[in-house]
Amino acid sequence: MSSAPVEIEKLPKGNSLTKDAWRRLRRDKFAMFCLSIVLGYALVAVLTRLGLVAGTWSEQVGKSYSPPSAGSWHLWFGTDIFGRSVILKTIYGAYVSMTVGLLASLIAVPVGVVLGAAAGYYGGKIDDIITWLYTTISNIDPTLFILSLAFVLGKGMNSMCIALGSSAWVGICRLIRGEFLKHKEREYVQAAKSLGASDARRIFIHILPNVSHLVIINFSFLFISAIKTEVILSYLGLGVQGIPSWGTMIDEAKLELARGVWWQLAAATLAMFVVVLSLNIVGDALRDALDPKLK
Amino acid sequence: MRNILLLVLSVLVISGCTKHREEVGAVLNVAEVAKIKGMDPALAEDQYSATEVSRVYEGLLQYHMYKRPYTVEPLLAEEMPQISKNGLEFKFKIRKGVMFQDDAAFPNGKGRELKAKDFIYSFKRLADPKVQSTGWWLLEGRIVGLDDWRAAATKSGKADYEAKVAGLEASDDYSLTIKLTKPVPQFLYALTMPYTAAVAQEVVEKYGSDFLNHPVGTGPFVMAVYKPTEVMEYVKNPNYWPATFPTEGAPGDKEAGLLDDAGKRLPLVDRVVVRVLVEDQPRWLHFMQGDIDAVGIPKDNYAQAIGPDGNLTAELKEKKVSLSKDVAMDLTYTAFNMESEEIPQFKNKLVRQALSLAMDERESIHTFYNDMATLSQTPIPPGIPGYDPDFKNIYRTNDIALAKKLLAQAGFADGKGFPTVVYDTLADTTSRQMAEYVTKNLQKIGVQTKVNTNTWPALLEKINHRQVQLWGIAWAADYPDAENFLQLFYGPNAQPGGMNGSYYKNKEFDKLFEKARAMQESPERTKLYRQLAQMVANDCPVVLGVNRIAVSLHQPWIKNWKYMEFMTNAAKYFRVDTDLKKQLRK
Repeated sequence: MSSAPVEIEKLPKGNSLTKDAWRRLRRDKFAMFCLSIVLGYALVAVLTRLGLVAGTWSEQVGKSYSPPSAGSWHLWFGTDIFGRSVILKTIYGAYVSMTVGLLASLIAVPVGVVLGAAAGYYGGKIDDIITWLYTTISNIDPTLFILSLAFVLGKGMNSMCIALGSSAWVGICRLIRGEFLKHKEREYVQAAKSLGASDARRIFIHILPNVSHLVIINFSFLFISAIKTEVILSYLGLGVQGIPSWGTMIDEAKLELARGVWWQLAAATLAMFVVVLSLNIVGDALRDALDPKLK
Repeated sequence: MRNILLLVLSVLVISGCTKHREEVGAVLNVAEVAKIKGMDPALAEDQYSATEVSRVYEGLLQYHMYKRPYTVEPLLAEEMPQISKNGLEFKFKIRKGVMFQDDAAFPNGKGRELKAKDFIYSFKRLADPKVQSTGWWLLEGRIVGLDDWRAAATKSGKADYEAKVAGLEASDDYSLTIKLTKPVPQFLYALTMPYTAAVAQEVVEKYGSDFLNHPVGTGPFVMAVYKPTEVMEYVKNPNYWPATFPTEGAPGDKEAGLLDDAGKRLPLVDRVVVRVLVEDQPRWLHFMQGDIDAVGIPKDNYAQAIGPDGNLTAELKEKKVSLSKDVAMDLTYTAFNMESEEIPQFKNKLVRQALSLAMDERESIHTFYNDMATLSQTPIPPGIPGYDPDFKNIYRTNDIALAKKLLAQAGFADGKGFPTVVYDTLADTTSRQMAEYVTKNLQKIGVQTKVNTNTWPALLEKINHRQVQLWGIAWAADYPDAENFLQLFYGPNAQPGGMNGSYYKNKEFDKLFEKARAMQESPERTKLYRQLAQMVANDCPVVLGVNRIAVSLHQPWIKNWKYMEFMTNAAKYFRVDTDLKKQLRK
């Protein structure tokens, strides 16, 4: 009885989780379309930041409150009270929103992940303290919390990002804590432990990659809520100062509607609607793609 | 997003409920644009509370409803006071037979007669530190012995209302003598303000801290419903003293039919209903429905109300609504903090003049005021002695070339090296748009600004603590005397909480101002006022803005309507043509 030795080289090579997810995401045509829209917004934001587009938003391009017209693209969405192009203001607003969304998520995600991981992994006193902290913060109405932070830190884009970031980490922290509680008892972690892996190695090398899909999905949802909160804060006059934002545009529209000027509201809400919807669909598709159960 | 929905809903609610309302008798329906703080005359600091207080309470004097320029006439005083030659002693005769409104605080619940001692009590109340009256400034340092009385009350912790004050004397029930420490020609104006209205000691003592919600005065209306954040209803005071409609007015008033009710007993309506409508749009919609009788036109509803020719639009003409445009005695301005640590450059007159030149108020009159404002050349608005229609301020000409030249002379050619200026304003939409406009204007001469928005109390706090650099604000006249506007630039008022927020200090100005304010009205005083106003125009401690024109609408069934800047108890003169109202609202 002889049997052929297993030829290891001939085994089909497995795909990594990310590669697999990417393949599945690509199959979803609509999600890819939405992703390209989000990337388009990001590109516009970068170009605005570099001063290549919308740098001239503060210049007068027509009469005060000119309605939308087909001529120059600057006038597609009409003009505001000072005769400035509404479309340029909307583009500039996209830059503000994307920046706030990105920065706030970049603050909230690491804070949430690190605290959640520590709480879930170590348990005991550390867990108690962190649980107390996020329960307390989540009990404060988020809008009021951000309002009071905006008053303390002063107004402007930076303080708004800090305010948003320091309140938005709660959800992700809670989620990661739960996952870590579950994973730390799993065999693969126990195996790593018996091989002498340190705590840090077990947290970051072993467990974290297994919960990273949650981080990515949450990142996209945090992004959306940051954009929405930016608009609300700016609407209340606590957001960005002296530069256009979708929130301030909607605030202006509140009075302008009475005189029949609808285009600022239309432009700002349309821009916001498209990006929020796209991010939502991308987030949903990501969840499906990254979920191992749906393989 | 929610705001939009609410707006739609409110339209439905309003149109839904108007059909069911049935009015009995002649009812005046008005709107108040801010919440009412309370009904205590001693605390009636803002225009809205003062208006409500004066429906119930009355003082010694009032402004004549129809005469212009504004003149003071007796109200609870029998006649104008006898003033001693040196201007220090005022002898008042109190009107006989004036009764307080019925209230449980009086024996048997029947209101008693008003006596001279009630005024002494009311004035002392303004001085009582426990009351914390916001009107103490009216009497402070002016009445002999009253400051000492206040000091004694502060020391002992309790005010002694029995203790005599030398400057307040009642020789009998109907005679009141007031002695001043120095001649103050503006003192008579103080006696028209609701602060100095007569309150009854029994009522104050019975209700204690709840007195704020229990108004009992001698006035034409008795409060029936009091919900200070929603609605207030007043009914005609059945025991009102026989006040009658004036027989004289300004030229043209008789022809306009404003004096048709001359000699009739006041008030002319049975009830007054006051709705508190803070937001522009609901207030406007209520007016369009005929639910309220008079309204100012919100900036963004202007096109709906007034056509391009400056007259009412067809829609409103069809409703037979009347339009009135009157110059309001106010002044908007952008102030420099001349003692700012961040921008010491504001000490330099050339810098201030350059910034004043850069600010184009003519375009803002169109954009923000719908052309219903005039450019102010000096701090004294039209309609007050001291206003000079021929004076042209060269720093209000918007001459950008000159502005650049002056800025270069100050060492900042094209704004180079000039620090970024923080402009403080309010957080509402229009304020923010105005701030953007300031930014845009100053950029023309290379000066960069950063906008900071605040709540109204926070902005006032910042100004009081000198934490501002450049800010926009307005001043409305307390009384028709240029002194009230010029005190904004008086050196000793440059202190935390003082009105001179610019910290403008000019010894020559102060000397002339002190001289002018102690003078009775005369051509010499007017000349001094003009001189003072030109000093301000030239030194530019503020960038002068505009004098606004008050544009308001009233329903066709409201008779005897006339714009009134000061007197806050105009409601007693209005008549409601109930037949016309019924007919038009069908």
